[in-house]
Amino acid sequence: MNAILLGILALPLLAALALWALPAAIGDRLAALYGSVVSGLVLAGSLILWPWNDGWFAYTPDERALRAATDVPWIPALGVRFHVAVDSISMPLIVLTALLVFLCCLYSLRITPRIGRTRSLIALLLVIEAGVIGTFSAMDLVLFFLCFEIVLIPMWLVIDIWGDEHDPAGRKRAATTFVLMTVLGSALMLLGFLLVYRQAGTFDIVRLTNAPVLGGHGIPLAAAILIAVGLAVKVPLWPLHIWLPDAHAKAPTVGSVLLAGVLLKLGTYGMIRILLPVLPDATVTIAPYLAGFSTVAIIAGSLACLAQTDVKRLIAYSSVGHMGFIGLGISTLSPAGLRGALFANIAHGIITGLLFFLAGAIKDRHDTSDLRAIGRALYARLPRIGALLTFACLASLGLPGLAGFWGEMLVLLGAYDPSDLLPRTTYLVLMVIAGLGTVLTAAYFLRLVRNLCQGDPAEHPATAFAVDLSRIELITWAPLVALTVLLGVWPGLLLHQWGNL
Amino acid sequence: MGESVTLTWTDWQAVAVPLALAIGAVAVLLVDAFWRSATAQLRHTVVTLLTGAVILFGLVFVWAQRDDFKPAFCRPAVEGPAECSLVFEPMTAGLWAVLLIGGLGVVGLSAYRLLASDIPVGEYHFLLLSALSGATVLAGARDLATVVIGLEVVSLPSFAMVALRRDRRGSEGALKAFLVSVLSTAVMLFGISYLYGVTGSLYLTTIANRLAGLDPDLERVAFAAGLFVIVGFAFKIAAVPFHAWLPDTYVGAPVEVTAFLAVVSKSAGVAGLLVLVTTGIAPNGSDLRTVVAVLAAVTMTVGNLAALRQVEAVRLLAWSSIGQVGFLLAPLAVGDAQAVVGYLAAYVVVTLGAFGSVAVVQRHRPGGLLTDYRGMVRSEPGLAVALIFFLVVLAGLPPGLAGLFTKFAAFQAVIDAHLGWLAIVMAINVMIGLAVYLRWVAELFRLPADDPFSVDIESPAVAMISLCAATAAVLSVLPSTMFALAT
Repeated sequence: MNAILLGILALPLLAALALWALPAAIGDRLAALYGSVVSGLVLAGSLILWPWNDGWFAYTPDERALRAATDVPWIPALGVRFHVAVDSISMPLIVLTALLVFLCCLYSLRITPRIGRTRSLIALLLVIEAGVIGTFSAMDLVLFFLCFEIVLIPMWLVIDIWGDEHDPAGRKRAATTFVLMTVLGSALMLLGFLLVYRQAGTFDIVRLTNAPVLGGHGIPLAAAILIAVGLAVKVPLWPLHIWLPDAHAKAPTVGSVLLAGVLLKLGTYGMIRILLPVLPDATVTIAPYLAGFSTVAIIAGSLACLAQTDVKRLIAYSSVGHMGFIGLGISTLSPAGLRGALFANIAHGIITGLLFFLAGAIKDRHDTSDLRAIGRALYARLPRIGALLTFACLASLGLPGLAGFWGEMLVLLGAYDPSDLLPRTTYLVLMVIAGLGTVLTAAYFLRLVRNLCQGDPAEHPATAFAVDLSRIELITWAPLVALTVLLGVWPGLLLHQWGNL
Repeated sequence: MGESVTLTWTDWQAVAVPLALAIGAVAVLLVDAFWRSATAQLRHTVVTLLTGAVILFGLVFVWAQRDDFKPAFCRPAVEGPAECSLVFEPMTAGLWAVLLIGGLGVVGLSAYRLLASDIPVGEYHFLLLSALSGATVLAGARDLATVVIGLEVVSLPSFAMVALRRDRRGSEGALKAFLVSVLSTAVMLFGISYLYGVTGSLYLTTIANRLAGLDPDLERVAFAAGLFVIVGFAFKIAAVPFHAWLPDTYVGAPVEVTAFLAVVSKSAGVAGLLVLVTTGIAPNGSDLRTVVAVLAAVTMTVGNLAALRQVEAVRLLAWSSIGQVGFLLAPLAVGDAQAVVGYLAAYVVVTLGAFGSVAVVQRHRPGGLLTDYRGMVRSEPGLAVALIFFLVVLAGLPPGLAGLFTKFAAFQAVIDAHLGWLAIVMAINVMIGLAVYLRWVAELFRLPADDPFSVDIESPAVAMISLCAATAAVLSVLPSTMFALAT
């Protein structure tokens, strides 16, 4: 088992290096095919690794919950070990990562940014995949930090080189803001880790989970705040979200899909994996603030969406709102809230991934992502893409029966009945406000559907190259659509994994 | 004092490396001066090999003795343990290794066809070896007189090297370096005289012992005296606000000499300061350590912020080296020799590589602008990949794990010493530093380029840059080797 985990960590990295070693002249299609094969293998490996019946190790003292463990010393002088393993909260996220990267590579077989250089783009996607899977499987705080950072420079390059070709200055600024804010966040997070080390004498997450750093004030509190701020930049929680809209809007389609679908999850995963079990008392102290900021994020994100005129920025801001729900779920510290957050993590990855694919498709066809320039009546001009967009919007606004519903419902349920250590009244107020946020979410998505899809086709003549759904688009989006429906009608598929929570 | 000085075997062993370097210095000068019949190429190659052999001897010697503890030039003290002038211990071994590797790298970068032909080869290598000899003495020194002598032996050759190319920029740079050097020595001697007046000793261990039991009035004098000594070193390593000389000197000197200044000269200063702080004037809990911490915070912030605005490659490296020194001063302020030596090791290797890469480009494009590097990832992929790797190591981000873990160790040292504010400043500087290096990396990746840089790179340069990249890669995969240097 651990060979498979090491394999899916090493394969993308080695494959990326091998790809760069090939001459720059190799065809775009060949590079994308190579990427698809490699990421397909990683996806297969991650599916084999999926633990079907084990619980979360933090709540089951049984060591079997932690699978595919590799634990060797790396830098004894600093107390750093190379310790990777997976359990039922990391596994779905690893599969989601592998799936989205695979679909991005598949998509690149036909559709790539106009600037070309597909070889390097694919190689960078593979490096990002390795970094993200590494973060999801790291069981050492320093290794977690390291993998967290691996993603930065590749993503910066993806935005800076392949971003919006109409706005070189804007994409450069977006990329730089993204990388600088994240690196500051992760440096602060590292300070928190070092404080934990000073208190506990180990970086090992498993040992720290079994013997957490207790105390809700002083050093543990400082550590918790630093770690929470660092992760909140990545999530991103209001008001640390300012890097997000630009980064998502300027990135190429595959970049946006991975940013929204996978990279944002690093923050929430870190909160669940590190903040809660390692610093339990300090987390109780900061949880109400976390919940407050999350709720503000829900409302602020939704209001910002109502004001957007750019379809990619709108979806980006909607992520702020959805990630706010996940933050709220985590900060309830209750089983329902945590399960909701974990479920919403996956659902958001699938649905927003689909939304960004659709936004990219619409942008490619109109050469702009400005809603006014695109015009209305997509139902008439691009009926299939219009229908899929409506489907994805409905899923995202939390229509019952689709994947987006369960996570947010569980989060609200969690906020109704938070952990006994938390002030219940505060959470009730926050729950009501968050409930208002779901209404706002519905409002802006329906507005998007009305402004983009409906209308009289006669006023908005079809553009010359407006082909409806191409075959590659159908192939890459079908798994996401299917999963949205599957998780909507059978949430237990994921939820029972976290049954012991 | 009238005691007879007899050298013991241990004394000879401890001083073997500086002595070998000094003898080598004279030898290369003589070879160059009296062997005029040979062609320039042959003479240059012989001098390079001779210099390299001497430094390699030093490295082998250090490696063989790395676990030993050799106090040398000792005399029995009135009270307490014997007072020694030069001590070879694991920390010395680490510092010497870093200094010698740096020197070896500079020698490699100054091989035939790389060093400008108007620079006299014999003098250049003579000065380099002399400075290296001084640097090793400085890193092992345990009394203030030896510290001053060691520092002077590093400094005098350094600004002579800057002046080797006799044009206006070179002379200006050398003059600045000279004035600063004289000033810093004066300031330091002033401080040392007071320290001697207060404690009655020049030996660092004795000073440390006597400082502990000083009466409060004298304590203030001792603090001021220590401050002067630290300021003297701050000039030498160009800590802010004593850094103004550095950018012009770096730009004025030939790139190889700049590499020497950034690697050997700077490491020597840091080594001297480390010795002073850990063994003598600033014991744990001293206010002087706070001074060094403040110096660290200001230095890294100013250096990185100024580096953000540079458009020339060497100037950017000059300012960012100020930022790097700030990062070095942070673990130094808490007396963590292991973190300092580890940081120096990574810094030395990648700075050599970066200057080597810059030298290649600058030989063909004397302008030295960052825009000269545009699109190099396509036109000159090998050099570009190496340079990108050096820069990300300097920034401390993956894939440059050598830089990441040395920064990590610096953070750990600072956090363990309860200097939370310094750690926050360092975190912010990680961000600014990244912004500095990413500007350069972005140029390398930018396509299409109008006039991409593409040349037939000289084979010694290829060898040196590959060697630096390979070493940095090894240090990235096995970071423990860096931290093993000083333990």
